[in-house]
Amino acid sequence: MTEVSLPTQESAKSHDATSEHLLAKSTASLAAIALLDGCGGGGGSGGASASAPSTTPVNVSSIEAARFLSQASLAATDQDIQFVVNYGKEAWINQQATLSSSTTRVAWLNNAGYLNASNMNSDAGLNNVLWHHLIAEQNPFVQRMALFWSEFFVVSVLGLPVSWRQYMAAAYMDTLEKNALGNFRDLLQAVTLSPGMGEYLNLAGSQKSDTATNRHPDENYAREVMQLFTIGLYKLNQDGSAVMGSNGQPVPTYTQADVTGLAAAFTGWNFTGSSTNIAYAITPMTVTESVHQGSTPNSFLGTTIPAGTTGAQSLQLILETLFNHSNTAPFVSKQMIQRLVSSNPSSGYVSRVAQVFANNGKGVRGDLMAVTKAVLLDPEASQPVSSSVGKIREPMLRLVQWARTFQVGSATGAWNIGDMSDPGTRLSQSPMRSPTVFNYFSPDYMPPNTALSSQNLVAPELQIIDETSIAGYLNYLQQFVVSGISDAVPNYANELAIGGNVTQLVARLNLLLAANQLSATTMSTITNAVSTMSSSSNAAKLNQIYAAIFLVMASPDYLVIR
Amino acid sequence: MPTNLVRREFLKKVAQYGALGTAAPLALSLSSIAHASSPAATDYKAVVCVYLYGGNDYANTVVPYDSTSYNLYNNLRSSIALTRSSLASTVLTPTQPLSGGLSFALAPNLSSLMPLFAGNQMAVLLNVGTLIQPTTKAQYLAKSVALPPRLFSHNDQQKFSQSMLDPGDSGWGGRLEDLLMSNNASSTFNAISASGNALFLSGRYTNQYQVSTNGPIAINALTGTPFGNSAVSSALRSIITTPPNQILSDQLTAYASRSISAQGMLSSVIGSSTPFGTTFPANNSLASQLQIVARIIKANQSLGVKRQVFFVSLGGFDTHDHLPTLHPQLMATLGSAIAAFQTAVASMSLSPNVLTFTSSDFGRTLTSNGDGTDHGWGSHQFAFGGPITSSKFIGTPPALANNGPDDLGQGRLIPTTSNDQLAYSIGKWLGASDSDLKGALPNAQNFSTLTF
Repeated sequence: MTEVSLPTQESAKSHDATSEHLLAKSTASLAAIALLDGCGGGGGSGGASASAPSTTPVNVSSIEAARFLSQASLAATDQDIQFVVNYGKEAWINQQATLSSSTTRVAWLNNAGYLNASNMNSDAGLNNVLWHHLIAEQNPFVQRMALFWSEFFVVSVLGLPVSWRQYMAAAYMDTLEKNALGNFRDLLQAVTLSPGMGEYLNLAGSQKSDTATNRHPDENYAREVMQLFTIGLYKLNQDGSAVMGSNGQPVPTYTQADVTGLAAAFTGWNFTGSSTNIAYAITPMTVTESVHQGSTPNSFLGTTIPAGTTGAQSLQLILETLFNHSNTAPFVSKQMIQRLVSSNPSSGYVSRVAQVFANNGKGVRGDLMAVTKAVLLDPEASQPVSSSVGKIREPMLRLVQWARTFQVGSATGAWNIGDMSDPGTRLSQSPMRSPTVFNYFSPDYMPPNTALSSQNLVAPELQIIDETSIAGYLNYLQQFVVSGISDAVPNYANELAIGGNVTQLVARLNLLLAANQLSATTMSTITNAVSTMSSSSNAAKLNQIYAAIFLVMASPDYLVIR
Repeated sequence: MPTNLVRREFLKKVAQYGALGTAAPLALSLSSIAHASSPAATDYKAVVCVYLYGGNDYANTVVPYDSTSYNLYNNLRSSIALTRSSLASTVLTPTQPLSGGLSFALAPNLSSLMPLFAGNQMAVLLNVGTLIQPTTKAQYLAKSVALPPRLFSHNDQQKFSQSMLDPGDSGWGGRLEDLLMSNNASSTFNAISASGNALFLSGRYTNQYQVSTNGPIAINALTGTPFGNSAVSSALRSIITTPPNQILSDQLTAYASRSISAQGMLSSVIGSSTPFGTTFPANNSLASQLQIVARIIKANQSLGVKRQVFFVSLGGFDTHDHLPTLHPQLMATLGSAIAAFQTAVASMSLSPNVLTFTSSDFGRTLTSNGDGTDHGWGSHQFAFGGPITSSKFIGTPPALANNGPDDLGQGRLIPTTSNDQLAYSIGKWLGASDSDLKGALPNAQNFSTLTF
């Protein structure tokens, strides 16, 4: 087998026209604002224009809308389901993409009083602000994509043993959010120069070789930016499969010599300012040319940066090389599909998305809005192919979905939800607390000795599901369904309004939480159990609601999105 | 050969698969299990793998101490070298001195291990790591030998060091247990992780059981009256344990069923958290894991188990930066946890029955990148108890150099002892036959036998 190269990719311009996608984005924004006006006008009929999707017939059922939102959003609320039914999936994406968060995470920390010397050597406030944005910000699509990128470009606060680490992590997440729907080239550069990644994978402070002390450049970021963030270990076909060499083995993309060469080219970058001042934690890194290794050529991946090139110029050449590598489109595309839609996408699905990554149709490579739409609007996302087995809902997404579905709010504004990563007592997962840069689970995890492995199917999320975490999740669920978590408490007014009609209640939960994927057996088991409970008072009705939500969120029908 | 036990185990396994509604693996056949020819065990033996995630920095763990070696070491990593004076109280004096006047000291913060070495309960394995076959530097450079897949990559070397096969679809601890599981009354507790999912423990038949540091966790809503109603309890049991006949969902119901049954069996027999004549250090995640392992070992007779493998881990060893601050903390955590565990094992009079060993993704560079080190290959490791009956070094001390005869540059060591040799010797100690071990550890035949 030989490597496939797509004509579209060769014809695509490399990313050099920032103004071009800025323009494209602002055009999209105007259209979406027009749409918003239309909705505000009532019933979706007012304000219709040629560009307003409301004039385009959409044919989306509420079930299909809920299913789409389980992939594209953080919850399927009544309002979002109605929007998708009225205007369609793409219109929902377009409208959501225009919505900004009410505050950056850094500003949120400041307003909540965390900029206090007593917090300098802790991560106080980080969990609070991360959960606040995931649960309470009114742009769930943007939040969903920022969270996706945080599981791709992983930075964990557990690997930031420095002062003001909560600000460093918060600023990093702000950076991901800002670039989540922009261009991958810009995102890659923003990540590379962020203090969070600089500290986490040690680009910050990496200096040129010194033979007198046997010092060599730090290789960590050079290695992982290739292995995990752009090209991966093996040459890929555009459908995400590995290119096989003449020996029948996958062809490696790089060697230790490439790592060494890239590490040298990457030297010279460091934080800006003193580490006692939070500015260093939230300001992009800068280069000190005197410690950049530029006196000799630096070679990697077939690129040679000539001697005398500055550190700043070298960075651009490095990022261009990684961005334009033929692996980057399928590598990134497949993982986005896996996180949002399906653990085992078909090769055609990966190809279609990779092709959009290579060229958005307007000659631009790396347009993430286009790539994200290609993932979410692909026929395979709404109509799974027969071989699809779906994916398991990530534990932290179950909590966020519950919170958004049942209007969790914090009266104090504190959002003391905390670290959810303990498998025995919490959820075995929590944002920005991955044990390593390899995330909580590997995209190619295949549980040994199972029907999955015998069919060569991966199930990444199963890597954190076991005898302990299953019990831990159910026990924690049983608590938070009732009383929320600390100051973050649910509001079940909409469910109470159903008035104790158990069939209606379970049907509503099936739609909102599970996109109607509960089997008839599961539905009747839940309905029968809850029907034995009293509904004579509000307190009794609440008990029914707790029990019904608990049983839905415990069920394997819910836990797997198919 | 305990054919009746093997047959019983097989039938039980098939029954389990049937109950879970999942297909038994194709390879699971009576003949394949009956091939296991290892004799029945009469005593209890356990192996505990202490995995150091991230790639431990070997040179600041087992430090060259004789003045010639120390000076080379200090020269090669001056910015991160330990001072010689700080090593004076952790110098290792083996039963048989090393040749050439070589000596090593433990990291100062491993001082809690010194009584184990002095008490003939500890061995140091020099320059051990992943290999397919013996490999010289010339052979590596000429690409004339088979090499482990994707050297220097964390997840790949974690996988290969735990599996020793590529693709790594099973772990070598689990494969050893496959050969020995017929000694255990129940297969549930053959292979236990106190540290989440570990490939090391998954055999071709052996499934790992993952326990929390507090012991098995009961699913509260399965008993009593959750939300005021016992109907919820029985509905929950049905929903989480009935396979819906969907491949991912069925896996979830399999885990839930195992969670419930293991908790029922284990929680009644492991007793209190402090049955030992030692206090496990607080705020030490490795010590917490080893404490639950010790509690389960103590229950071996109640559980009816004779051969077990365990997995615990400590993360944070990827010290590209801040090594002078972080590595000593890691050493203190590691040393105090293992010292407490070995004391607990001794209090059960099981020191000769429990072998504990360390492993890691890989070693690191000997030279420094300023305040840390980068990914390497060979490393030094430790083994405690079990067959270890003298204080000794196993393996060959590597040349201390930057691009010397034993390293690929920056002191990235080419291992001179293979993980396979260690695994094979562990398998022999557990009582597996040579013919069985050849199937479980196919590359071991490329190497000589390692003697504990």
